[in-house]
Amino acid sequence: MGRFVARRLLGMTGVLFAISVIVFLIFNVIPNSDPAARIAGKNADPALIARVTADLGLDKPLPVQYLTMMKQIFTGELTSYAKDRNVVEQIWEGLPATFSLCIGAAVLWMALAILFGYLSAVHAGKFTDRALTILSLVGISMPVFWLAAMLLYYLTFKVELFPTGSYVPFTESPGEWAYHLILPWFTLAVLFVGIYSRVLRSNMLDVMNEDYVRTARAKGLSERQVRMRHVLRNSMIPVITLFGLDFGQVIGGGAILTETVYNLDGVGLYAGEAIRSLDLPPLMAVVMFGAFFIVLFNTIVDILYAVLDPRIRLGEAAPA
Amino acid sequence: MKALRKILVVACVIALALFGAAACGKKSEGGGGGGGEGGGEINIALTSFPDYVDPQLSYTVEGWEVLWNVYTPLLTYKHVKGKDGTQVVPALAEDMPEISPDGKVYKLKLRPNMKYSDGTPIKASDFTYAVQRLFKADSGGSVFYDVIVGASDYAEGKAQTISGIKTDDNTGDITITLTEPNATFENVLGLMFAAPVPPSTPLDKDSTNKPPPASGPFMISKVDAPRTLTMERNPNFKTVKDAGATEVVDANVDKIIVNENKNNSAQVTDVEQNKVDFMLDPPVADRLAEVKAKYPDRFRMEDSINTYYFFMNMEKPPFNDLKVRQAINYAIDPEALNRIFGGRLHPSQQILPPGMPGYEEYKLYPGPDMNKAKQLIAEANPADKDITVWTDDEPDRKRIGEYYHDLLTQLGFNATLKVIAGDVYWTTIGNQSTPDVDTGFADWFQDFPHPDDFFRPLLHGESILPTNGNNLSRVNIPANNAKTDELLTKLIGDGGVEEQYAALDKAYMEQAVWAPYGNEEFTTFLSERMDFDKSYHHLLFNQDYTSFAIK
Amino acid sequence: MVSPIDSLEAPGEPPLPTGVPKAQIQGRSPWYLAWLRLRRNKVALACAVLFVLIVLFCLAAPLWAEHVAHTGPNENHLTDTLLIDGQEVDVVSPDGTPIGPGLHGKFFLGADQNGRDVMVRLMYGGRTSIYVGLAAALVTTILAVAVALLAGYYRGWIDSVLSRTMDVIWAFPVLLLGIALGTTLSIGGLKLGPIAIAGDSLWIPILIIGLVYVPYFARPIRGEILALREKEFIEAAVAQGKGPLRIMFSELAPNILSTVVVFFTLNIANNMLLESALSFLGAGVRPPNASWGSMISDGYQVIFTAPHLTVVPGLMIVLTVLSLNVFGDGLRDAMDPRAKIRLEH
Repeated sequence: MGRFVARRLLGMTGVLFAISVIVFLIFNVIPNSDPAARIAGKNADPALIARVTADLGLDKPLPVQYLTMMKQIFTGELTSYAKDRNVVEQIWEGLPATFSLCIGAAVLWMALAILFGYLSAVHAGKFTDRALTILSLVGISMPVFWLAAMLLYYLTFKVELFPTGSYVPFTESPGEWAYHLILPWFTLAVLFVGIYSRVLRSNMLDVMNEDYVRTARAKGLSERQVRMRHVLRNSMIPVITLFGLDFGQVIGGGAILTETVYNLDGVGLYAGEAIRSLDLPPLMAVVMFGAFFIVLFNTIVDILYAVLDPRIRLGEAAPA
Repeated sequence: MKALRKILVVACVIALALFGAAACGKKSEGGGGGGGEGGGEINIALTSFPDYVDPQLSYTVEGWEVLWNVYTPLLTYKHVKGKDGTQVVPALAEDMPEISPDGKVYKLKLRPNMKYSDGTPIKASDFTYAVQRLFKADSGGSVFYDVIVGASDYAEGKAQTISGIKTDDNTGDITITLTEPNATFENVLGLMFAAPVPPSTPLDKDSTNKPPPASGPFMISKVDAPRTLTMERNPNFKTVKDAGATEVVDANVDKIIVNENKNNSAQVTDVEQNKVDFMLDPPVADRLAEVKAKYPDRFRMEDSINTYYFFMNMEKPPFNDLKVRQAINYAIDPEALNRIFGGRLHPSQQILPPGMPGYEEYKLYPGPDMNKAKQLIAEANPADKDITVWTDDEPDRKRIGEYYHDLLTQLGFNATLKVIAGDVYWTTIGNQSTPDVDTGFADWFQDFPHPDDFFRPLLHGESILPTNGNNLSRVNIPANNAKTDELLTKLIGDGGVEEQYAALDKAYMEQAVWAPYGNEEFTTFLSERMDFDKSYHHLLFNQDYTSFAIK
Repeated sequence: MVSPIDSLEAPGEPPLPTGVPKAQIQGRSPWYLAWLRLRRNKVALACAVLFVLIVLFCLAAPLWAEHVAHTGPNENHLTDTLLIDGQEVDVVSPDGTPIGPGLHGKFFLGADQNGRDVMVRLMYGGRTSIYVGLAAALVTTILAVAVALLAGYYRGWIDSVLSRTMDVIWAFPVLLLGIALGTTLSIGGLKLGPIAIAGDSLWIPILIIGLVYVPYFARPIRGEILALREKEFIEAAVAQGKGPLRIMFSELAPNILSTVVVFFTLNIANNMLLESALSFLGAGVRPPNASWGSMISDGYQVIFTAPHLTVVPGLMIVLTVLSLNVFGDGLRDAMDPRAKIRLEH
C-alpha cells in the first residue's frame, strides 16, 4: 500500500511540474507582449524599459527565469509584474470567497443530487422520474454565466430579493455571508445536480437488479431498508469518485465564471484578471494552485479505489 | 399565565429598545458631524484600486485623485474647477521658481518649520530623495525629470546623486539645473512625482503597503491593497498651513474610506441608496440615463482633458495618402460614437480638448458626409485596400472598434478587426515590430495641462520609437516639429503662445494626421448628505477630496 | 420456461428491443436493433428534429439578412431611425439604449448597443457557435480515438507516455487553460512550421476546445480497447499476420464505434458550452464576429436596460445543447442500454 501511495504522489509531482512548464512556455514562447514595456508606462523611453527589464530579471535565460519564479512561489515572495503586489498573499486573501462558494455549492449539489437521483430511481419510468430527468437535462444544458445573469436580472433587479453579489466575509456577518452566497451557490450547483442525479439514478437502477439485492429482499427486509442500506450505499461509490474529480476542477478554476458574474473576490476572479493582463506570475501561481487541487483529489480518489479494490493496487488494470 | 405575559411584554420592549438603539447607533456612526465646521466620515467606491499608493509611482486617474491631497509637491495646481485650475501655484515652496534668463536654472525655497504627518521635519533634501526614487523605483514618471542635469547618470548607476539638484537643508534652498530650457518644467514640479518624502521611504521599492507620511490635509492611515484604504486628517497639516501655504487647501471631512467594487452597476445602486457617498467612475452606460433623470440634484457631467481618436499609420498605404485620411474624418460620426459612450462624449474633431490652454474651436470636416468620403477615396484610388483595425477589449472600446470596422467596410475597404486585451493593447500597437498596425483606437489623457504634453509625445517626429511609442500615426512633419520645439521655450503666459498652439492644432488636422471624434466627460454623483455645490471636479486631479463636505 | 425472444439474445450483448416481432429481429445487425430501440424513443427523436431545425434556422441567415432585415450582422446603425406605427423611433437612443424586440421585419429581436440587428446576428452567431462545436468535436474525437488506439493496443511505454500526457491536460483547470491559450494566441496567431493560423481565425478556439476535452474521451475508450484487446478475435487477427495498423482500424475501431458516436454527439453540446464560456470571457470567438457566447457577453453590459440581448442568445444555447443532450442520451440507450461508459464532465 505504501508503495502504491508513494508512486501516486510521485506521479502527482510530475504532473504539477509538467503543468508549470507548459504555463511558462505559453507565456514566453507564444509572442504576446513585453511586460517591462507595460510596466514602464505610457511615456517610457528605451532607457527606462531597459532598467525595468533588468530589475524584473527578464533579460536572463528562460530556464533561469523559470527556476526563479518557482522558487518564489514556494517562498511566498512572488510579485506580479503589473502591480508589484505579492501574488501568494493575494491568493491567500481570495481563498475564503472561493472556498465558501465551492464548498457551499458542493454541499448543495450533493444533497439535491442524492435526493433527485434517489427519487428518480425509485419511481423510474413514472412522472416524477420524467420530470426530474427533464430538469436535470435542462440544468446541464445551461451556460453557467447565463444562468447567473438571468438570476441577477430577475431576482436582484426586477424583484429585489437578493443582493447583487460581492462577498461578505463570514467573520464580518454570517447572515450576510450566506445571504450574498445563496444565488452563487445555486448557480454553481445547478449544472452538477443534473449530472450527479442522473449518474446516481442509473447506478441505483443497475444495483437494484443485482443478486445481492434480491437476496436482501428475500431475507424479508422492507423495500425502504433495502433501498437505503444496500442500493443507495453501493450506488454512491462511483458518485463519490466523480465528486472528487469535479470538486477539484471547481476549486481549481471552474468557479471563475460564477465569481466573475457575482463579483466575488476569489481566486477565480483573480485568475481571470491575471490572464487578461497577460501577467505571468499570478497566473502561474493560480494555475499551480488549481492543478494542485485537481491532482490532489484525483490521487485521493485513486487511493480510495485501491483501498476498496485490492486488484488495483496490485496490478495496474485501469477501470474507467 | 399572567406572569408569563408580563415577561413577554417586557422582553419585547427591551428587544425593540435594543433594536432601535442599534439602528440609531449605526446611523450616527455613518452620519458624522454635519455642523458648520465640517467633519464626519464618508466612503467612496471605485472600480480600480489605485495602481500604487506611492506618490512617486502612481500614474492612474484613481491614484492621482486619491493622493493629490495627501502628498504635496513644491508647487501645485490651484484648487478650483475649470481652466483656472490649470494654473501652477506655490505649495511647499514659498514662491514660484526664479528662472534664470537662459531658462535652465530653477531656484526655489522650501517653507520653514513644516512637518510630515508622523512628526518628521520636511527638509529640502527630501525633494532630491523623491526624484531619486523616481529613477531607482523605475517610475513611469521618471521621463519628465530626465531633463535634469545628471539624472540619466544617476539612473544608470554611474553617479551616487543627481548633480543637477542642489539643496541646503538649513536655508531650504533648492536649485535645479536643466540640460535645456523646458517650459513644462513648472507643470512637472506640480505633479506628485516630485512630492518630497522622508528618506525612511524605501528608495527602490513600491511603498504601497506602508505609504510614506503625508504632507497634505489627509494622510493614509490604513491600506489593504487592492481592496480598501482609509484616509484621515493629517494632524501636522497645520505646520504646512502655518508656513504660509495658502494654495494648499484643508479638508472638510475627518475620514474617507475608499473601497474597490468591480461592479459599477452595484456602485450606482449604492450611491442611489446613500450607502456610498461618491463613486469615482462614471455610471455604466445603461444606468446613466436613469441617474441623470432621477437624481439631477446630485449628479452632473464634468469636463475632462482628454481626446479620443483613431490613429492612422501615415507611413504605409493606404493611410499615407492625405485624401484617404481626410475621407475618414468626413465619414466618422461623433454622434454615433457618443451613443456608444452612453452620451458622455463631447464631439470634437480636433487634437487639443476644451479646457487645455491653446484650444480654439474650428470645424475642418463638417459631416458626417459619407458621400464626400467615398468621393475622396475614389479620387485617391488606393491600391492597397486591406486594413487592420485595432482596439482593446474594454466593452466601450470594443464597440468603438466594431463601429470603425463597419465604417471602413462601408467605405469599400477590406477591414479586419483585432481586439487585444486592455493591459497589453498599448504596448502591442506601440511596438514597431507588430505587423499590420494600420489604424485603430487611441486616447490620451493629459499628464499636465500644457499643450506640449499632447503635441510632443503624440505628434512629434522624435516620438516615433521602436517600443512604447505614443506617436501611433507615425507623424513626422518637420515644420510642425520645429514649431513644437520653439513653443516649448516660451511660457504659456507669454503673449500669443496659446494662439500659436491653436494654429499648430489646425495645421496638424489639415494634414488629417488623426481622426479624432471627441472628449470623454466624467461625472460627479454624490449621496444625499454630501454638499453637492461645494464639491468640484479638477481638470487634472479629478474630484478634489478637500471639497467633500457633509451638508 | 425460456421465452423465444430470450433465446435470441447473445451473451454479453445488449437486450433486444421489446415489443418488436421476433421475425424482425432474427439475423439483424446490432445497428438495426439500435435503430429500432431509438425509433421508440419519441422524445429523443423530437430533439433530433429540433436540433436539425435550429441548424436550418441558422443556415437561413443570409436569406433573412437580405430579404427581411436588409442588413448584415456587423452593420452598425447607431444613428438610424425606424418607422413604427408611423413614429420615428431611434434604433439606439442618444444615451445608448438600444431598441427592444418587436414585430417588425427589421430589428425583429431588437438592436444591440451598436445598432446591429439582433435577429441577424443571432442567426449568423448560431452558425459560428454550431460550426465551432462540430469542428471541435471532430478534433477531439479524432485525437482521442488515435490516442486510445495507440495506448490501448501497444501498451507499454507508448501507453505510459500518452497516459501521462492525458493526465497533464486533464489536471489543467479547463477554463484557465482555454482562456490562457485563447488570449495569447489571439494576439499573434499560431505558427507551427508551415502551418500559420491567424489570431482571429475560428480555428484557434476550435483547436483549443478540441484539445481540452481529449483526455475525457481518451481514457474511457482506452479502457474499452484494453478490454477488447484480450478477446480472441484479436489473437486470431494477429495469428493471421495482420499488421498493427490494420488491426487497429479494421478490428478494434468498429467495436468502439457506438461509444464514439454517443460521445461525439454529447461532445458537441459540451463544446458549445465551453465556446460560449470562452467567448463570454473574451478568449473565444473574436469580434466583430458574433457567436452566441460573445452576444451574451455584450448583452451583459446592459442587462438591466436591455435584457433581451442576454436572454435570447442564452435561450438558443440552452435549446441547442438540450436537444443534443437528450438525443445523445437516447442514442446511448439505444446502442447499449446497460452502458457503463459515461462521459464525465
